[in-house]
Amino acid sequence: MRVMSTPRLLDVEITSKCNLRCKYCYHFNSAGETKEDIETEEWLRFFEELKQCVVMEVCLGGGEPFLRDDLKEILSSLARNQIRFSIMSNGTLITDEIAAFIAASKRCNYVQVSIDGSIPITHDEMRGKGNFSRAINGLKTLLRHGITATVRVTIHKGNVYDLEGIAELLLEEIGLNSFSTNSASYMGLCRRNAEQIMLTPKERSLAMVSLVKLEKKYNGRISAQAGPLADGKIWLEMERARKEGLLRLPGRGYLSACGAVFGKLAVRADGVMIPCIQLSNIELGKINKDSLVKVWQEHPELLKIRGRRSVHLSSFEFCEGCDYIPYCTGNCPALASNILGKVNHPSPDACLRRFLQEGGVLPENI
Amino acid sequence: MKDDVVPIAKPSILLREEFDDWAVLFSTDSGEAYGINPVSVFIWKRLDGERTIDGLVEELIANCDDAPDDAGGQVLTFVNELLAKGFAGYEVDGR
Repeated sequence: MRVMSTPRLLDVEITSKCNLRCKYCYHFNSAGETKEDIETEEWLRFFEELKQCVVMEVCLGGGEPFLRDDLKEILSSLARNQIRFSIMSNGTLITDEIAAFIAASKRCNYVQVSIDGSIPITHDEMRGKGNFSRAINGLKTLLRHGITATVRVTIHKGNVYDLEGIAELLLEEIGLNSFSTNSASYMGLCRRNAEQIMLTPKERSLAMVSLVKLEKKYNGRISAQAGPLADGKIWLEMERARKEGLLRLPGRGYLSACGAVFGKLAVRADGVMIPCIQLSNIELGKINKDSLVKVWQEHPELLKIRGRRSVHLSSFEFCEGCDYIPYCTGNCPALASNILGKVNHPSPDACLRRFLQEGGVLPENI
Repeated sequence: MKDDVVPIAKPSILLREEFDDWAVLFSTDSGEAYGINPVSVFIWKRLDGERTIDGLVEELIANCDDAPDDAGGQVLTFVNELLAKGFAGYEVDGR
């Protein structure tokens, strides 16, 4: 995989603050939860460096980006520096005024709103009372202003039986083109509430079946890069390959899952550069102090993570005797890091053998 | 397109040069990206509203050891693609 000369995209946590405390938030209770946000001027200066590096997109997250009083100034600076942007939001603070500003900038790729239920109880159970209607209002406000709005549904114990309703709400009633899904992972606040939140193998199997059916029903308008839908597809492919006795699948058999560090970098709210927002404990340098290009091209930690693609899965005791090795990618390094404290290790959460041993069932077998 | 017209790159289009000579043209207006080869990078960098198509071809041949035999045709094709995508326009008062 080719590494880009500079990052194509930066995930920037412009604030560590949030008006909500969702029970599975990956930000809080992680190294990403910084005490202070850096000042506006620091961000503006950094965006000038991004222009020199021809960074194509900045994805603003946090915390809740719409909490920042200077958001307009930040967005204007990005536009001035010829950088397109996207925003990850809980949707509760989106007003007509800011939506109109975003639309007028003509540099917004999309705003993603988190919605986890078709009715208040499934959303508010994890995100706080009243926030379902606020998030829906925020989403509708974006759409009313012609902004490309997307939704991310995080699947957990409380909404696993509501997936059909969620699809109906988002795709039929609201009329989104598509939405994406993942699941609450063992990161951040979820580590404190794992029993209450994370899916059991049985619930995970149920979610896979539901999502595979819904994806067919809605002609591919539901997507996933992680969570039950993504796992279900990858695991089915692995199981088919094993049954057919294929020697291996292309690019598999190594820690080859994550290509993000070849084209993306992230920055915490305190201005510390990190490989990924979910690997916020790996500090690579400070913006406006350390050169972005130098960090990107030379930092040993980044080189180490990029090098994981040459680590064969058979070198791990965890994978010993596993029939799926030639078809497996080892999955997300951030999850491996959160669960085991090791980045260059297969993620136990995404282990098909373990899932089946614990009673999980793949969609076609149900 | 006549060979004596003067094409000019749009200022809202950015060039990202990657390792191994590959590059991307990127529209900050639309987000559209377009992969280009080293010859196209050479041409893109000279779409300054001063050079005609003929001038660009002459420069390409003079600067590239392995310029393609049909350099004129390739330059014209690339510029036409840029015009069609809205990545470049014509310089009206530039000469």
